[in-house]
Amino acid sequence: MFRFAPYIWKGMIRHRARTAMTIAGAAVGVFVFCCVGAVQQGLNRLTQGVAANQSLIVFQENRFCPTTSRLPQDYATTIAKLDGVVGVVPMQVYTNNCRASLDIIVFNGAPPTDIRKFDTLRLIEGGWESFESRSDAAIVGIHVARRRGLSVGQSFTIGEVTVQIVGIFESTVANEENLIYTHLDFLQRAAGSANVGVCTLFEVLVREGVDPDRLATTIDSTLHSGPIATTTRRKGAFQASTLADLVDLIEFAHWLGYASVGLVLSLLATTTLMATQDRIKEHAVLQVLGVRPTRVARFVIAESLMICLVGGTIGMLIALTALAWGGFAIGAEGATIAFEPSWSLAVSGLAVSLLVGLLAGLVPALKVATADLVPSLNQ
Amino acid sequence: MSLVEIRGLSKVFQKGGETVKPLEDVDLDIERGEFVSLMGPSGTGKSTLLNLVAGIDRPSAGSIRVGETEVTKLSRAKLADWRAGHLGYIFQTHNLIPVLTAYENIELPLFLLPLSRTERQKRVNIALDAVGLVDRAYHYPRQLSGGQEQRVGIARAIVANPQVIVADEPTGSLDADTGSQIRSLLCQLNEELGMTLLLVTHDREVASLAGRQLRLDHGKIVEASRVRVANSTVGG
Repeated sequence: MFRFAPYIWKGMIRHRARTAMTIAGAAVGVFVFCCVGAVQQGLNRLTQGVAANQSLIVFQENRFCPTTSRLPQDYATTIAKLDGVVGVVPMQVYTNNCRASLDIIVFNGAPPTDIRKFDTLRLIEGGWESFESRSDAAIVGIHVARRRGLSVGQSFTIGEVTVQIVGIFESTVANEENLIYTHLDFLQRAAGSANVGVCTLFEVLVREGVDPDRLATTIDSTLHSGPIATTTRRKGAFQASTLADLVDLIEFAHWLGYASVGLVLSLLATTTLMATQDRIKEHAVLQVLGVRPTRVARFVIAESLMICLVGGTIGMLIALTALAWGGFAIGAEGATIAFEPSWSLAVSGLAVSLLVGLLAGLVPALKVATADLVPSLNQ
Repeated sequence: MSLVEIRGLSKVFQKGGETVKPLEDVDLDIERGEFVSLMGPSGTGKSTLLNLVAGIDRPSAGSIRVGETEVTKLSRAKLADWRAGHLGYIFQTHNLIPVLTAYENIELPLFLLPLSRTERQKRVNIALDAVGLVDRAYHYPRQLSGGQEQRVGIARAIVANPQVIVADEPTGSLDADTGSQIRSLLCQLNEELGMTLLLVTHDREVASLAGRQLRLDHGKIVEASRVRVANSTVGG
């Protein structure tokens, strides 16, 4: 088969414009597939990760947007006393936009010492000391920094909040890289004096072996007698609920990903069929020279595979590069879904390209292998 | 034993609701090194006979043996294998692969044989030399004249050193001068290289080069004349 590689290669590039357009089509299809896959993976990470199940979020009952949830900060002391609680972090959330947006900016205000204990965060620029020592200091997730062109030493303003950037961080949890962490009391004051002593939510770390759902019920029943009723859920469930509208859209976009693959299949199958119809006589000549029909069929499939693999690889690489450098995220009501490149995305992009290339070549290959030689030679 | 032995060969097919019988109970023997031409009006089944011998068409009845191989009993895949090593086919319209150079076109059938790269190069160069196209080896078909293309086609047919070469109107699409060059080349293949040729033609001049001239008449073969087998005259 490899001896015929020059023939297959030259056959593939004989109609350069047609081949280039097909490769471009395959690239666009796989690009869309990878982007949609990244959104889906981002959602899965957010709702199914370890952190999603091992910590709880306490929010004001019947509230959805962070600006409307106002819990007394001293609830933290009550929650911390409950059995099974390892730690409680009061958090003030401030966002520039409560609606769905591709450029959502979310400030999370928490005690700086608690933020420093988050084992998911790693500062890649700046230092913890300057973050802890300055009340208006902020550390910025790498994706926000890239998207907004932010760097250490700059000041950054959204609405009535102005912060000094003292660090850029990476996180093992992708959606955290779309956040900006500030001091809790700073953010409370920035949102107005009425917000001092009030926070948006509590993140509760659950001791291993404790049932998070049972603990959530205990927290809600304990705080039921307080001035504000709460709803406590696993972090994953909370984020899925916050992003419920987006989840529906993402599920729909998922189908668009499959549709784009279907389009590539249809485009490639048409091109391969056209290419084989152009070469009915040539394929017959090859068989007269002694090439087995099944081998000629393999030439057709190889050509279709190569075109789709080249296009798919280009599309996959562009998608992964854009995802890596763009720092894209979609968010709503303070929660964000990060679109991250991943090896599994690269592998699935290539696997889809191979599968589509194979399927697109099957029917034309079958036609070539079964065509009568004499009528084919007389064309 | 004859190299090609055809017995009781018939071909029947339907065309426009009518039953056509281009070949009916044909018997034919071709000796090793013999040059046989087959003439006859259009539609009398000359090309059909050629295609049956080459194993690219199936007979309705009868048998064809080439060397030790019963061609009519082989599957499509086995027929392809057999052609690769035993049969050279010269087309009327050259049928070169347009994206390959003359050299690559000639080398193509050798990929199917267990030959080293060096051996392939050697054989292609011999074939190119035999057809006088060494200086055109790296030209694409579109850069060659009709006669040169046909010569590449002939080189491709002989490069695997087949038992038998079949040629379907090899001068049919060429002008008089070029046709004459191809005629000389065919004679050379038979006389100097001792190749066995079965040639279909309308052209009396081409047919007259053959040692044995046959005519197809109402599906039957009629022997017109017998002149010579390669390198020796056997009758008149």
